[in-house]
Amino acid sequence: MSVWNYVVTAQKPTCVSHDCVGNFTSPQELNLIVAKCTRIEIHLLTPQGVQTILDVPLYGRIATLELFRPHGEAQDLLFITIERYKFCVLQWDSESSELVTRAMGDVSDRIGLPTDNDQIGIIDPDCRLIGLHLYDGLFKVIPFDNKGQLKEAFNIRLEELQVLDIKFLYGCTRPTIAVLYQDIKDARHVKTYEVSLKEDFVKGPWSQNNLDYGADLLIPVPQPLCGVLIIGEETIVYCSANAFKAIQIRPCITKAYGRVDIDGSRYLLGDHAGLLHLLVITHEKEKVTGLKIELLGETSIASSISYLDNAVAFVGSSYGDSQLIKLNTQPDAKGSYVEILESYVNLGPIVGLCVLDLERQGQGQVVTCSGAYKDGSLRIVRSGIGINEQASVELQEDEMEETEIEGFLSEVQTLFCHDAVYNQLVQVTSNSVRLVSSTTRELRNKWDAPAGFTVNVATSNASQIGDGTLTEVKHVLLEYEVSCIDMNPIGDNPNYSQLAAVGMWTDITVRIFVLPDLTLITKEQLGGEIIPRSVLLCAFEGISYLLCALGDGHLLNFHATHVFAASDRPAVIYSNNKKLVYSNVNLKEVSHLCPFNSAAFPDSLAIAREGELTIGTINDIQKLHIRTIPVGEHARRICHQKQSRTFAICSVRNHPSAEESEMHFVRLLDDQTFDFLSTYPLDAFEYGCSILSCSFTDDKNAYYCVGTAYVLPKENGPTKGRILVFIVEEGRLQLIAEKETEGAVYSLNAFNGKLLAAINQKIQLYKWMVRDGGTRELQSECGHHGHILALFVQTRGDFIAGGDLMKSISFLIYKHEEGAIEERTRDYNANWISALEILDDDTYLGADSCYNLFTVKKNSEGPTEEERASMEVVGEYHLGEFVNRFRHGSLVMRMPDSETGQIPTLIFGTVNGVIGVMASLPQEQYAFLEKLQTSLRKVIKGVGGLSHEQWRSFTNEKRTAEARNFLDGDLIESFLDLSRSKMEEISKGMDVQVEELCKRVEELIRLH
Amino acid sequence: MASILGDLPSFDPHNFSQHRPSDPSNPSRMVPTTYHPTHNRTLPPPDQVITTEVKNILIRSFYQRAEEKLRPKRPASEHLTSEHGNKHFRAASSSSSTQGL
Repeated sequence: MSVWNYVVTAQKPTCVSHDCVGNFTSPQELNLIVAKCTRIEIHLLTPQGVQTILDVPLYGRIATLELFRPHGEAQDLLFITIERYKFCVLQWDSESSELVTRAMGDVSDRIGLPTDNDQIGIIDPDCRLIGLHLYDGLFKVIPFDNKGQLKEAFNIRLEELQVLDIKFLYGCTRPTIAVLYQDIKDARHVKTYEVSLKEDFVKGPWSQNNLDYGADLLIPVPQPLCGVLIIGEETIVYCSANAFKAIQIRPCITKAYGRVDIDGSRYLLGDHAGLLHLLVITHEKEKVTGLKIELLGETSIASSISYLDNAVAFVGSSYGDSQLIKLNTQPDAKGSYVEILESYVNLGPIVGLCVLDLERQGQGQVVTCSGAYKDGSLRIVRSGIGINEQASVELQEDEMEETEIEGFLSEVQTLFCHDAVYNQLVQVTSNSVRLVSSTTRELRNKWDAPAGFTVNVATSNASQIGDGTLTEVKHVLLEYEVSCIDMNPIGDNPNYSQLAAVGMWTDITVRIFVLPDLTLITKEQLGGEIIPRSVLLCAFEGISYLLCALGDGHLLNFHATHVFAASDRPAVIYSNNKKLVYSNVNLKEVSHLCPFNSAAFPDSLAIAREGELTIGTINDIQKLHIRTIPVGEHARRICHQKQSRTFAICSVRNHPSAEESEMHFVRLLDDQTFDFLSTYPLDAFEYGCSILSCSFTDDKNAYYCVGTAYVLPKENGPTKGRILVFIVEEGRLQLIAEKETEGAVYSLNAFNGKLLAAINQKIQLYKWMVRDGGTRELQSECGHHGHILALFVQTRGDFIAGGDLMKSISFLIYKHEEGAIEERTRDYNANWISALEILDDDTYLGADSCYNLFTVKKNSEGPTEEERASMEVVGEYHLGEFVNRFRHGSLVMRMPDSETGQIPTLIFGTVNGVIGVMASLPQEQYAFLEKLQTSLRKVIKGVGGLSHEQWRSFTNEKRTAEARNFLDGDLIESFLDLSRSKMEEISKGMDVQVEELCKRVEELIRLH
Repeated sequence: MASILGDLPSFDPHNFSQHRPSDPSNPSRMVPTTYHPTHNRTLPPPDQVITTEVKNILIRSFYQRAEEKLRPKRPASEHLTSEHGNKHFRAASSSSSTQGL
């Protein structure tokens, strides 16, 4: 059953939507506050740079963010509005380092049409009013009293229905707003209004009609200049009661601005192409004389800009990495004034993603289509333990100083070398064992192999060696050759091993012998034909294990601290709650390593890689490692093909100035190097909508299938598209077949050796025909009508799940004998689907455009036909993120012997750059965690007084309902961050030991 | 010629003075501590839980108009003495009460 689901964030949102600067944490400290959809980050400016203080999760999607300072306050307060019509005012209490809620409230109205444009939340510069524009035709006012306390809010009717921006003006005796709006003829104008506390508007000091058709942004200018800048696509206008100045600009869409000077004479403007401009208001004293604009350079496409201090600014981006930039007084060789000091990873918007397991370790590696326009990229996301590199030397022979150890035999190959007690070194060669003093470097003792015997493998530990003595204690003859051996001490005495582990050729066994008489106590058959390469006896949390690595990369543990497994894919094995955990390490191709502990590098590892020696420490938190492959254009769909070891992507390149502004491509990349191998350009106006790697019945070739749509400017929706079938030959995309369709091919699926496509209103099945001449083609077999737009299709056996633009999820079945697709049942709710996945034969998961997740179940046991025809909604949850893609898979290595290895998981990607994991839990575990979640709600409070229960409640335009059959993993896992006393409080309430609670939560953390 | 980017504001000259740029091709990820408040001041003082005035805008404007119609009569009916004073105080009372629209 997949009804009880657990949703957790593996990668927090990375898209920056808003940022602002002020004295938030103390009157002397300058802070950068960054909003990332459902979280705010508080940073401090320091001599070293931007230091992050806190990451604050909010129970809501942030709509606006502003710092302000009421009269009489020494430091700024933070005003936040969230999309579900709540606001809060937060204050930093520096004594307790806590966020305190000064005020909060519900600003929803029972009637009113929510605005199509962004919600607006603004504060009068003299702190007399807060203004909100949330519904068309209404302006909500929350007045401040003279002590800075908020009073009851009231609405004012706003005649302008299509509002683009509203800002408070500076230097007005009564609070005054400038409203940028569009009239019914699509002309744009600015009007000003005084907000009277008599709960009405009074006509303001000026207005300006017939602005630029692209005017979209108002910038209020502080005193002494006052007035407002109106930013258009071709002109910028300065407007006030007594001045009007305008300049022409190169056509661009300004996305963000940041004020540089306190007097408002300079502004940074960021446009849709990532170009940063400086806008200057020239003035003589208080009289504005003109405007000037200068191109500074290129950044990521900005969604918000804040000037910080000393010529450094922060560029927040939701299309690319956010950046810390320096503004230099003189341009560099390329003419740019902008120097990028730092970049902060942003995965959003994730529009496509694939999960693959290139190393077949059971661990998924996620490759996302991230970013947009010129900031488009592919991101490779892996979970693992990091090595913090402390030092690294490149190994070059001429630089290495060689030391001669006289006691060693240097003419023959050394099989084994180790240090030992009493300042000794052990060297083992094929015919001798030598004990050498590490101080004098002289031979102290040796043992020679008897004639006719050669030593193949050897091991020793440091302690079971005499002071200058070497004696043969015991000799046994085994029936086969030894492949590996170990005698690492385990058990009570850390200096004395009572056991030796031996791996064998020929019969493929591992055997355990008792030391020193070498009696065989057990023999384990490994099965298969792969010899054991390395054995290790070790103890984790008091439990002894025998680890055995096989030649093919498998690692076996026999009922067995961290072990580092060196290989071409290094991993760390450790024990947590008496269970073994395997984790990848962010290094490649480790050939050898050993512990390294010195004064300069305590508890470190020395790691040998080809040509390089690295010293580092293990970072014990498993986290995501992200690698960026810049594409320079918007990658939208991605797919991996195992057979050709390639990725194929659908991408779009924008030429903002060219006549034909977009070009669409199918591109082929190597799956190791991510080099572009081949490109297939699509036709003019032809979009790549879907991509799939599959094989067909009676044809073992692997093909890439690409579904397209012709998006013609004069058409309302696409009426023509193509399915293109490519084969990869010598690293090139070869078009094998193409099939015209009667609409956009939104989805492609491999289905019973055929191809299932979602084309506009229809789900269509194609079979693959190989003609006599060897030509191949797609032939339509059957289809099913009845969708508004069939955007998403998933299949399982003969089952088909369809996700509709507006009509939620339907379940269809393919009937082989009749060659027909029939609808069996559907969810009759009007959910606008954004992603779809099948959890099991009966349960389906959907994400909708209102940021909800929901599960529906087939009602095949229903007593009436009517009931059977309709799906039952079994789970509902507000995720607060727009999901674009679900994929089955896991981010962590899943060992089939562990309990968590049995829990099915899927991975999703969202617009804000979240990578999430959803796990379907057993009912018992779900019930337990649900209780824990209820207890946690009482202990962990919502910042700003926002309620967790309301936040997670399913909501769309029609209804709101309590979340059910979904758990918030982010809240549950924060249990481990609580103080001991709070943990005990919860433990008492639930009547479960703290240790047990920790153990159960840690198990969940291991799912991601 | 003075640069357009001359004299950029400096609030604390120390800020960024020791900043060492990291490799921009290798983006950094800030992993700060996550805030989970357990104190009681996440809820504001009771009088700072703000709601919107429930009166509908239309009803409110009816009441306002009705009040305006009534108001000039009220001083006449209530205080006869104030009728004299009314001339004195007219400027003050009109600006503070009735002339809102």
